[in-house]
Amino acid sequence: MPPPCKSLLLATPQPTRLLPRTLPNLQTRHESTTRRHKKLLALPSTPSYAPSTTAPTLIFNPPSSAPSVYHTPLKFLPPTDKRRALYNAALTSSTATALSAHRSPVATPGTPLSATSHLPPKPSAKLPAAVRAPYEKTYHVTPEQIEEMRALREEDPGRWTRVRLAERFGCSQFFVGMVAKNEGAAGKVAGEHERARSRWGSRRREAREDRGRRKAIWGRDA
Amino acid sequence: MPAMAAPMIAVFALQFEGCAYQPPAGDQTCLGYLDGCRTQSRWQTTAAAPTELVIEEPLLQDPAETPLASRPFRPRGKVSKEQLPSPRTAEADKSAKLAALRSRLSLHQRFPLQTLARTLVHPSADPNPAFNNASLSMLGSNLLGYYTTEYLLSHYPRLPMPVMFAAVEAYIGPRALATVASEWGIEAAAEPGGEVDPGLLQFRRLRSGEDPPSPAKRKGPYKWNITTTHKILQSDEFGSATRPPAAQELARLPIPLEEAAQSFVRALIGGLHLHLGAPLVKRFFRDHFLSRHLDLSTLFDFRTPTRDLSRLCAREGFEAPVARLISETGRLSRHPVFVVGVYSGKDKLGEGAGSSLDESRFRAAAAALKGWYLYRPLEVTVPSSTEGGLNATRWKPNMIDCGEVIV
Repeated sequence: MPPPCKSLLLATPQPTRLLPRTLPNLQTRHESTTRRHKKLLALPSTPSYAPSTTAPTLIFNPPSSAPSVYHTPLKFLPPTDKRRALYNAALTSSTATALSAHRSPVATPGTPLSATSHLPPKPSAKLPAAVRAPYEKTYHVTPEQIEEMRALREEDPGRWTRVRLAERFGCSQFFVGMVAKNEGAAGKVAGEHERARSRWGSRRREAREDRGRRKAIWGRDA
Repeated sequence: MPAMAAPMIAVFALQFEGCAYQPPAGDQTCLGYLDGCRTQSRWQTTAAAPTELVIEEPLLQDPAETPLASRPFRPRGKVSKEQLPSPRTAEADKSAKLAALRSRLSLHQRFPLQTLARTLVHPSADPNPAFNNASLSMLGSNLLGYYTTEYLLSHYPRLPMPVMFAAVEAYIGPRALATVASEWGIEAAAEPGGEVDPGLLQFRRLRSGEDPPSPAKRKGPYKWNITTTHKILQSDEFGSATRPPAAQELARLPIPLEEAAQSFVRALIGGLHLHLGAPLVKRFFRDHFLSRHLDLSTLFDFRTPTRDLSRLCAREGFEAPVARLISETGRLSRHPVFVVGVYSGKDKLGEGAGSSLDESRFRAAAAALKGWYLYRPLEVTVPSSTEGGLNATRWKPNMIDCGEVIV
């Protein structure tokens, strides 16, 4: 039987070289010599970050960023604003260019060739999918039903909760809270929540507080 | 050590040639103001004097009738510099610091060094309103508030009032003015007095670690019922809830540097207005205050942007806003990124990126609201540009918005 190749020998753990299980896995480098390994890692820097001259110079390489909030959308411009006409003219011309330009089927969007195109994308009637299913407000609850809702809530707030009333009348829980608010039941639920919160340990409480702080940042820096 | 060149003294000599300022009768130097029958003359310290009659009315009485204790201290006869609370007016022409400051700020030679010296004297150093900067400071404060609010209101007509107040405070608030003064290279005197250089800021210093005395603290609210309307009508230009102390209440009290520095900047604006006129003050304001960069979009703090945007679209008659997922990456990973746009009909109103669908929807709605509030008209004529009948034919009414969204 011929001896196994050298690399296989190195890769196979030898019983004498086994480390105790408590130690972490050691880093492996997959190169035979230090010189080869250094040569492998010596990558040239990205051209856009490397200055072309040895003299001190400025490198301006901004990342692609979100649209500026100082660019007022077309819909928010007042009717007297001149930018309305300019935006409309630009949209018309870019649409005409995109529709009149002939594009080969090999350069359709999704293929690598389409990325190099400097032409504007073809206008499409399709908008991106909605994050949440859009709904229409129905305004179907009648005044009689509202009275009934109030009576049920008053009669047995423990049984006729906001959830059950919303299911029965096909409206939102928010609406039930608006028309048939029950202070006693609300206070009871708030007390239960408070008791549950008092049982939290430090880790859970801090995690919840951090979540609240992160959410407050959403509205400050869009 | 690099070689140092000799200071350019010739520059100051040239400046001294052109402005032979004659102090009028009744100046601090001739001490004629102590004469009881010549009350009028004590107001003629500088050209700015006649406007300041409203500052402290008790001083208009005959000095013989006022009790000695309440009268500001002015020694009689031949006095040494050390006995005066602030430098003599005649010292201003000899001060290199004042001439350098006037050159540094590119002020016209017509602006007398005597007035520049007076703007540097805070009431805490010299309580006499004829020699401190209280009156000029009040005038300058009103001018600064006027120019800043008219700029913001006509350039950003849809700005909500809390953001407007914050922006005014960022441009001409006390801390901003103190920063401006330090950038101009204003140095403070260790202790005020007649013997110090008039080019130094003169005020009674608050020792470090000490609390300001109670008269120097901010007073109670203008009114207990504080709404936005009250802030506009009753409060100052910053919409602050509490009232700052009047300048004369600070007489001989130790105050922090910030208080003295802001009073200097305001007084300088007031003095410029009186000596050089409104057009030059407007140019000075544009160069030194409006040129400071302020990103208005960072002043917003939305709590319920999605609800606000729905109300806005309903108010303006647009289709209800719908959040749509433009792109996403790593939905099942630890660091997903979702890019969500808010659309009204087919128009995109705003775009936001976040690590959850809720976050990016929230940020997109906030960006759309900022897009609405930060609208800037193309052609703006500020009201003060037509002062004195100038450019009156080129006046175009500015856009006035119906106001912020109220939920």
